[in-house]
Amino acid sequence: MVTILNKEIPNQLNELSVQQFEEITGILNDTSYDYIEKHLKVFEIFGINEEDFEDTSLDEFKIYVKEFNTIKTKFKIKKTIDIDGHKYIGISGKNFILSVRDTKHIEKIMKSKHKGYLSEVLSVLWKKEGLTNAEHYDTAHIKYKSKLIRDLKADIALPYLVEIGKKLQEKVKIENEAASIVE
Amino acid sequence: MKLPQSWSDIDVYTFKDIRSLNTIEEPFARDMEIMAVIMDVSVESLDDYDISDLNKEMKKMMFLNSEPSKNFKNNIENYIFKPFEQLTCGEFIDLEYYFSNDYIKHISHIAAIVYKKHKFDEWGNLVYEPYTYNPNNRSEEFDNVCVNDIYGIIPAYLNFRKNFLEKYMLLFEDDPGPEEEDKNTPLSKEDQEHKAAVKWGWERLIYSLCNEDLTKFEEATNLPLILAFNMLSMKKDLNL
Repeated sequence: MVTILNKEIPNQLNELSVQQFEEITGILNDTSYDYIEKHLKVFEIFGINEEDFEDTSLDEFKIYVKEFNTIKTKFKIKKTIDIDGHKYIGISGKNFILSVRDTKHIEKIMKSKHKGYLSEVLSVLWKKEGLTNAEHYDTAHIKYKSKLIRDLKADIALPYLVEIGKKLQEKVKIENEAASIVE
Repeated sequence: MKLPQSWSDIDVYTFKDIRSLNTIEEPFARDMEIMAVIMDVSVESLDDYDISDLNKEMKKMMFLNSEPSKNFKNNIENYIFKPFEQLTCGEFIDLEYYFSNDYIKHISHIAAIVYKKHKFDEWGNLVYEPYTYNPNNRSEEFDNVCVNDIYGIIPAYLNFRKNFLEKYMLLFEDDPGPEEEDKNTPLSKEDQEHKAAVKWGWERLIYSLCNEDLTKFEEATNLPLILAFNMLSMKKDLNL
């Protein structure tokens, strides 16, 4: 937790929900806001409005931002998670594998970048024990599960997002190399 | 499975398939479809692979991002390449159709026009078969050849076409049409004629070549392209 204008707000990954994390990243990635606007919008998520900062100097505001952005949580990828007594499997083998099938679904979700897309990406990855592929990839099931995921803590989600990022990065690297190839 | 190392390992049919997949916007989905085409398996059969493995395989096939060889073979099985300068009007018109309607998709049809059966006459001159066949019926024969063997006819023809159109620019130029078409205003007789001329471009040229005698249409399409266009230029210059 971090104290901003005498109010304690969550900033660590084990304190933030996936939904809050999605909202924060959505704002921080929005290029229509400048640096100050972005953080004013982020603080609004936690009930601190722009007017509350009227008597805050720019230097003080910068300190608040720095404190908020200091993440101390160490996170480790969890192979399975439990939601409402049900087991969801993220990694079935030894290491994280992003299957071709999952990638196709994730690529479509990431292309649209709609609100809540990160929890939908995780929803594709985490498979409820005992379901068939047809049931798992059913659009309604993915949407329902992503709602449940939004209430989880972000420290469970982030390691998966990092792993997906690494896999997608491999492709970007190949595309960049390919761009310079002429047979 | 042994994956292709270069375009030399890809036939025309597969090349067309691969290029048609370029319309898929999502890079991973596109790669998976390409991989399935190359491996000749269904895309669903790749679903359980790790995407990193697929990336590694795709990395080995970087040549897919380049164009095949710009050189082409003079002989393909029983066929021999007919130089563009020796094309007939009919061949040129059909080539124009295929080039203006996705030349990658129609590369086998294009090859079926420019590669000909041939013989030597009693004087030892090379004689190409007449253009009496339908390229649709022969295109499949070129689907199985290596793409590097025929792809080069595409840039070569485009280059020939550019020079040809420049040389005979006057024949392809019409008076500019109405600047802005107002659907509510009826077209003047002149504008209607202009529209019709654009719509019936090739037919109009051939009609002119056969002196408005439709029974000579086939003869006109069999005329050597260069001769025919020289004649058309002369007719235009002399207002004949």
